[in-house]
Amino acid sequence: MRKYTVKRILTSVFTLLVILLVLFILMQLMPGSPFNDEKLNDSQREVLYAKYGLDQPVVVQFFRYVGNMLRGDLGVSYKISRNTPISQLIQTRLPISLFIGGFAVTIGAVLGLILGLIAALKHDTIWDSLATIISVIGVSVPSYVFALALSYTLGFRLQWFPMLYNVQKAMGSSVLPSISLSMFTMASIARFTRTEMLEVLNSDYMLLAESKGVSGPALIFRHALRNALIPIITVLAPLVVDLMTGSLVVEKIFAIPGVGSLLVNAIQSNDYNVVISLSFIYSALYIIIMLVVDILYGVIDPRIRLAKKGE
Amino acid sequence: MKKAVAALLTVSALAVGVVGLSAAAEASDLNIMLETPVESLDPQIATDGTSFEVIADFTDGLMQMDADGKAVEALAESYEVSEDGCTYTFHLRDASWSNGDPVTANDFVFAWQRAVDPDVASEYSYMLSDIGQVVNAAEIIAGEKDKSELGVTAIDDKTLEVKLNVPVSYFLSLMYFPTFYPVNQAFFESVGDTFGTSPETTLSNGAFIMDTYEPAATAFHLTKNDSYWDAARVQLAGLNYQVIQDSQQALMSYQSGALDMTLVNGEQVDQVKEDPEFQTIGAGYLWYVSPNMDGVPELANLNIRLAMTNAINRVSITEDVLKDGSIPTYTAVPLQFAAGPDGSDFSGDQSLYLDVCADDAAKAAEYWAAGLEELGISELSLDMVVDADDAPQKVAQVLKEQWETTLPGLTVNLVIEPKKQRVEDMQNGDFQLGLTRWGPDYADPMTYLGMWITGNNNNYGLWSNEEFDAIIDECTTGDLCTDAEGRWARLYDAQKIVMDEAVIYPLYTQANAEMMSSAVTGVEFHPVALNRVYKNAAKAE
Amino acid sequence: MEKNVSAAAYVPVESDFRLKNNADEIALDTNFASQGFWKDVLIRYFRKTSAVIGLVLIILISIMAVVGPGMNSYTYSGQELGQKNFAPRVPGLEKLGIFDGDESMSTTTGTKTVNYYKEKELNDVYYWFGSDNFGRDIWTRTWSGARVSLIIAVAAAFIDMLIGMSYGLISGYFGGKTDMIMQRSLEVANGIPRLVVVTLLLLVLQPGMLTIIVALMLTEWIGMSRIARAQMLRLKEQEFVLASRTLGAGSFFIIFKEILPNIIGPIITQVMFSIPTAIFTEAFLSFVGLGIPVPQCSLGSLISEGFNSFTTHPYQIIPPIVVMALLMLSFNLVADGLREALDPKMKEM
Repeated sequence: MRKYTVKRILTSVFTLLVILLVLFILMQLMPGSPFNDEKLNDSQREVLYAKYGLDQPVVVQFFRYVGNMLRGDLGVSYKISRNTPISQLIQTRLPISLFIGGFAVTIGAVLGLILGLIAALKHDTIWDSLATIISVIGVSVPSYVFALALSYTLGFRLQWFPMLYNVQKAMGSSVLPSISLSMFTMASIARFTRTEMLEVLNSDYMLLAESKGVSGPALIFRHALRNALIPIITVLAPLVVDLMTGSLVVEKIFAIPGVGSLLVNAIQSNDYNVVISLSFIYSALYIIIMLVVDILYGVIDPRIRLAKKGE
Repeated sequence: MKKAVAALLTVSALAVGVVGLSAAAEASDLNIMLETPVESLDPQIATDGTSFEVIADFTDGLMQMDADGKAVEALAESYEVSEDGCTYTFHLRDASWSNGDPVTANDFVFAWQRAVDPDVASEYSYMLSDIGQVVNAAEIIAGEKDKSELGVTAIDDKTLEVKLNVPVSYFLSLMYFPTFYPVNQAFFESVGDTFGTSPETTLSNGAFIMDTYEPAATAFHLTKNDSYWDAARVQLAGLNYQVIQDSQQALMSYQSGALDMTLVNGEQVDQVKEDPEFQTIGAGYLWYVSPNMDGVPELANLNIRLAMTNAINRVSITEDVLKDGSIPTYTAVPLQFAAGPDGSDFSGDQSLYLDVCADDAAKAAEYWAAGLEELGISELSLDMVVDADDAPQKVAQVLKEQWETTLPGLTVNLVIEPKKQRVEDMQNGDFQLGLTRWGPDYADPMTYLGMWITGNNNNYGLWSNEEFDAIIDECTTGDLCTDAEGRWARLYDAQKIVMDEAVIYPLYTQANAEMMSSAVTGVEFHPVALNRVYKNAAKAE
Repeated sequence: MEKNVSAAAYVPVESDFRLKNNADEIALDTNFASQGFWKDVLIRYFRKTSAVIGLVLIILISIMAVVGPGMNSYTYSGQELGQKNFAPRVPGLEKLGIFDGDESMSTTTGTKTVNYYKEKELNDVYYWFGSDNFGRDIWTRTWSGARVSLIIAVAAAFIDMLIGMSYGLISGYFGGKTDMIMQRSLEVANGIPRLVVVTLLLLVLQPGMLTIIVALMLTEWIGMSRIARAQMLRLKEQEFVLASRTLGAGSFFIIFKEILPNIIGPIITQVMFSIPTAIFTEAFLSFVGLGIPVPQCSLGSLISEGFNSFTTHPYQIIPPIVVMALLMLSFNLVADGLREALDPKMKEM
């Protein structure tokens, strides 16, 4: 297991480097420049490119970037906040996105599990249909429509929660964005929990457990849910990364100073360093979570643990 | 112990600042909605309207705009212009930076040299070279001369002398443009690269002082500057900015009282048009369609171009689609931004070229038939590149419909692209029709007419006309630079050529629909340089 | 096991056997006529009401997507700027006081009721779902949008399934180095934010339906491959796989003939999920201005258009959202029904 883990970590680092290189190549394909396209003449553009080293070949830019990154320097923004170091730009924004994303994942996963369990245990009853309908609404209404509807009713009409994000009241003003973000997670988790639980409940070992006299919550949580969790985690993991790195749409609506809206602005304005840094953070988070999931598999499912030992 | 706790509370309250809407309930803070975050607080680096507005909140230049947009003295107490119009001497008043340093002529020299320094790479350096015609600016930008050779000198602490290559009739009005604002050299050097990224690294000599800010912030706050040279005039306790990108959220915030001013979009105008707090404000931008006369043989035909420009129903576009107060425009220079020697709007009379550019479907059909006959074709299919933003897409859909119904045989395909891609395509001549816009850089028709000279970067259609070039030359560097009335008259001649030849199809002058609380007075709106000025604003309790 | 039987055992020869010739004696069990697997599935499927409802809804919406736009004289792109933002009005129903073109608008100066049909004296004009801000018929646009969305979503989901499923199954089955390499490549592909990839793709290719399908395909297959791989890891050590391998079956035979039928349930559920995901991603692309080019429309682009009038003219966003929700609900019901019908174990519950 330990050898496997070390190997996984090493390959992950290599994967990240490959991703960084791919990002650099993608940046070259972007049309336009980070600088005011319309009002600049060619010589001015040359001056700007020279200043930021954008006139160098990609390979040179890549190695220089990796070198700087190892020293903790992510470069400066070209457009969004000209000449501001990216690290300064991100350090206040990332925690906000992580907080709201984490909040949303928690709400979504808990509600989703509950809905899914209800649907599976009360299979083919009105409860099952109700759970299905709730989860379908969750995936049918785009988060921005849901966000605006929440903001209009709970924020504007009833005034229960602030309509806009406010750094000083981070908790209260995170409620509406988190709920709007959690709907999709909730729906996905509910559906998968239901499917997996139904399958597990039908399996022979459940029958065995039942016949051995295990019953009630112990049967469901110790035996059934545990086995159903593997595919659920596979679905949840990428969702976590998506949410944690911020949803641009919801960030835009609630005026949240997070990284999601920053990434969109950066792509639209060719702010290369910001795009690369944010994408890289996203990738790193993603790969770390995947690593954790892989290792978790072993903890949850003994068969996989054994298979890995054999490797 | 109690004291310590109280002190701690105070300190933390200060550290957190007064950002956020509810925290700013203090009566005379003005709560302002912004559509986009600030890009830079460095006056020589900033390029966008939002940044300019905020920089001007806490920085004064030599001149400032009065309510009508005319240049009046700010940090310059007085000025003299030499007889040949090429030397300006500014005498500075006693003013100070918020760290206590006096504002000196050197602050201007330092700032202007930064603006042209290739190491700084200011995008607006052309304000000093092409537009301001400051001696040696162009050579320094090109790296041929050292920045110390720039034609600006501090005669003493309070006297600044500027030398120009040729007389520039609108030079004083450039002085309120943030690129020309001073920077305190000692302070700048002490904060280094972090200049303008936090309240601690910005220095104020203007009406307000930045007290909460971080790069690309969605909310920030400024407080009144008590040591401002004109502090008596400033009535607001502070400015509270909130960036809201969704217009419906913005209107709801306004209705709930969290904002005093907000933009509304065309869809929302139905909701607010009967409200006395609703107003529309000219934004100076001209929207137009640029036909590629060089790359598309059919568009090189004058009748085809005239047919297309006459087939457009501009009134319908502004009243039925945009609904934000935008004005239909039938001239190559938009309305309400450039006032002539007699104070009248250059494009105030929109009927000048109605014979070649009008909302006239019948005439369009005639031109169209003539054009098709000359070309010997019966059908024409054109692509139009359009920004993937809300307003351009709407306008483009209507244009397509209007053209296709009025001009039989014409098919227009919309190519929707992100703006930078669209600009790149147009710059490379890789387009047939392009829907584009241009904002004025200074309050003179030349900011538009200058675009159509042969070889200009923004002459996307690659149109070329010797007579036109000669007039523009005459008005920029030739005999007419010092003769304001004569120059003004010649500019109309130039515009007539552009219109007769249908070099562009002008559409409308953009306006912004805005809600402003009736408690607020004295906010000044301008289409050029500084869109909103709050120095004279007041908010009733 | 016991020891082998002694080597000198008797070897039977052909003459030891003869045909019994008892065709008449074989009794046919008429109670349980032998049924084909698929017939069985169909019967089980139609026994479930919710599954049938779902199927009927999908068929209805598909029919409407084909004939709906032709049911009145409007076209999806035809503008009538003088008749914009008209509230829904339906002949017949209008007399009942609903769908009569009245709209109550909440303005900053209070709520007011307007009826543009009456204001403009258009007595024989009817927009069943209302008209949008260009005066285009929302009925026509909703159904042509549904058509576009269905094509995009089904095509994308189907391609995702083929790619993702094969990738996941192969990766999971072979394990070891193959799995390692395949999973790391997948991480690279997935590690780059979708927005970056999709934006670039749409810039490089001409915007349009095909480009959007490619964009969705590029980003959505990964979820499917994960499910397939997880299932494979669960199943590949089971006895029937071992048995098949012992009998000499090839790897690909085992993957696609032995294991695939056993995991069809989760796969179908995932396909049904990738349909809404595809529709959403398309809606998201519309939202950032990279969706289907105007004046064409999809459910997603209609929702983002309606979104801009959400607080002003809420009726504009309702038809596309309702159609989308119904579509999603029915795909889910059908998926459930299919899964249970395909898996006979389930019917015992």
